[in-house]
Amino acid sequence: MKVLVPVKRVVDYNVKVRVKSDGTGVETANVKMSMNPFDEISIEEAIRLREAGIATEVIAVSCGVAACQETLRTALAIGADRAILVETDVELQPLAVAKLLKAVVDKEGPKLAIVGKQAIDDDCNQTGQMLAALLGWPQGTFANKITVEGEKLRVAREVDGGLETVILNLPAVITSDLRLNEPRYVTLPNIMKAKKKPLEIIKPDALGVDVTPRLVTLKVVEPPKRKGGLKVPDVQTLVMKLRTEAKVIE
Amino acid sequence: MPAPTNKESDDLEKSIIKQLVAVVGEAAVLTTTEDTGPYAVDWRRRYHGRPLAVVKPASTVEVAAVVKLCADNRVAVVPQGGNTGLVGGATPDESGTQVIVNLSRMNRIRGLDLVNNTLTAEAGCVLATLQQAARDSDRLFPLSLAAEGSCEIGGNLSTNAGGTAVLRYGNTRELVLGLEVVLPNGEVWEGLRGLRKDNTGYDLKQLFIGAEGTLGIVTAAVLKLFPLPKGRATAIVACETPRQALALLSHLQANCGERLTGFELFSDYCLGLVLKHFPASQAPFAARFAHYALVELTDTLSADRVQSVLEEALAAALERHMIKDAAIAANESQCRQFWGIRERIPESEAAEGRNVKHDVSLPISHIAEFIEAAEASLVRRLPGIRMVTFGHLGDGNLHYNVSLPQGMSPDAFTGVADELSRIVHDHAARLGGSISAEHGLGQMKREEITHYKSAIEINLMKRIKAALDPDGIMNPGKVI
Repeated sequence: MKVLVPVKRVVDYNVKVRVKSDGTGVETANVKMSMNPFDEISIEEAIRLREAGIATEVIAVSCGVAACQETLRTALAIGADRAILVETDVELQPLAVAKLLKAVVDKEGPKLAIVGKQAIDDDCNQTGQMLAALLGWPQGTFANKITVEGEKLRVAREVDGGLETVILNLPAVITSDLRLNEPRYVTLPNIMKAKKKPLEIIKPDALGVDVTPRLVTLKVVEPPKRKGGLKVPDVQTLVMKLRTEAKVIE
Repeated sequence: MPAPTNKESDDLEKSIIKQLVAVVGEAAVLTTTEDTGPYAVDWRRRYHGRPLAVVKPASTVEVAAVVKLCADNRVAVVPQGGNTGLVGGATPDESGTQVIVNLSRMNRIRGLDLVNNTLTAEAGCVLATLQQAARDSDRLFPLSLAAEGSCEIGGNLSTNAGGTAVLRYGNTRELVLGLEVVLPNGEVWEGLRGLRKDNTGYDLKQLFIGAEGTLGIVTAAVLKLFPLPKGRATAIVACETPRQALALLSHLQANCGERLTGFELFSDYCLGLVLKHFPASQAPFAARFAHYALVELTDTLSADRVQSVLEEALAAALERHMIKDAAIAANESQCRQFWGIRERIPESEAAEGRNVKHDVSLPISHIAEFIEAAEASLVRRLPGIRMVTFGHLGDGNLHYNVSLPQGMSPDAFTGVADELSRIVHDHAARLGGSISAEHGLGQMKREEITHYKSAIEINLMKRIKAALDPDGIMNPGKVI
């Protein structure tokens, strides 16, 4: 079976994000960009399914600007067989991405889509669920472990207080959680091979999808700076301050 | 002078402590064994001293007054920073007569000049704090070493610390423009100049850098800042031999120029130790190779370009069969994981059992020969001995440590430690190397160095010491 894995280009997890001075968004110029860590986990899982003889082909898909090709090359270096970029300069919101991915699914016919549970830039945690809804497929979110059993998929999900196991009928959408696996490092020979793997670029129009944003961002601001703590000389002063300044006791 | 009686010496001690308290206040003079304990033992717990007192001055004026007081009373002074040294340079002797002057309270950043690209810091500033202060202003203070979270800049200066960025930015010595020093008689030399050119006679600051506190106490320094790199690319490269790693080093220097900022070597035995003692670490490759080079490029122009520069340079090396394989960090987290493997080697080695540490440097062209020859001699002397070969290959510095053979008792191994070190040091010396690349001499290598430096060189050092510290009160028993 074919497996589809969407990958998103985001500001590197370890970069300190800075808000643009005009409040329109975060600074991405000359900032280290990497693959969304949950998508890296998704790619790794798909490759493992292929190595286990379950998946026949792993297709990585990214939606966004031309530079997303770099992220797709990383996916190819980890081991994806081919890549598709749905290229657009329009700011993409989860619903638009889900619609684009549905169109790609209709075109490619995968039986499984492994989607990162969320992207670390907007933290929306919506795309996988929206994709499942648009396709009418069952979904196994926050996957900790997946096992393919014939035409069924057993998914252990991370829920509050433990793991919940569900069984889905294929085709299905999975969203991957942090502990699903530990992605491998990309090696040089695989990076070199990845340069020769096919990377197809298509436009949203060709897929018949309108990606116009439906939400408007009013303003992006940094969280308020934490005020410094203070030392009090004795318990009386502490109680007094809790009462009169912090107003947390009567 | 007749030897003082017990009572006289007790009275003298009490009087000195009283005077110290008068200078720095009661809270800053520690005298009980419980209070002084952590200051009286070195990082590796090899040297245990017994100080008369630990004094923690908060300003240059206080340091000067403390040193003057000690000089007047002929009391020895042991300067100390974060106490992370590896050769016992900041540990007093067991006489109970030496005063530790700990600089940790002098931790102010006195100034940051972004036009001159300098930072003026007091000796007690923790290295990581200075790195962060520079980063907050979009600058780099490049000194970086394993103890950076607790070592202090005064100690880094006094030991001329090295670390992982020496290849690109040089030792601590090369990062200093000016110093403020309290001299052994309590005078203060105000040399906090921020000049890159200053040919006005002897370059005195260089005397105090690397002197391990034997010529005075560094209380503040003007440090050089650099542009903060925008991108970095890190790889672990598999090599068959150290010789192959050296060929890679030349190849990268030729193709990446000054972007090459890190080039570390470690053997597969080291990797095995890390994977064993830190099970959360991930091996860089599915297969294992004999040696690995950790390579890092940084670039001040762009965040992404450096990644492709590294990929292309390594691809060329792979095509020419200079290397076996390479794992390239795909993101910043993986960069840190790669460095994590390298940085956990010393701890893993300690967890594995008794070992003898070395800190040799060699002309880079002779490193491969050194490793081969020293290993052959060591194995001949002690069959089964395990080489823990790692280090900063890019600047010629190897931590060529050896672990006891499996089944040997740790005490028996310690019994032959000096002999093993002599073998390692003899090979280093024969090939034009040094027996202490970045750790200093302290008390550990004070005697050992006399075998490797000429009488003329030792004599010159003694004359400098006598000229600056005629009474020999500054950190006696260290260096010379």
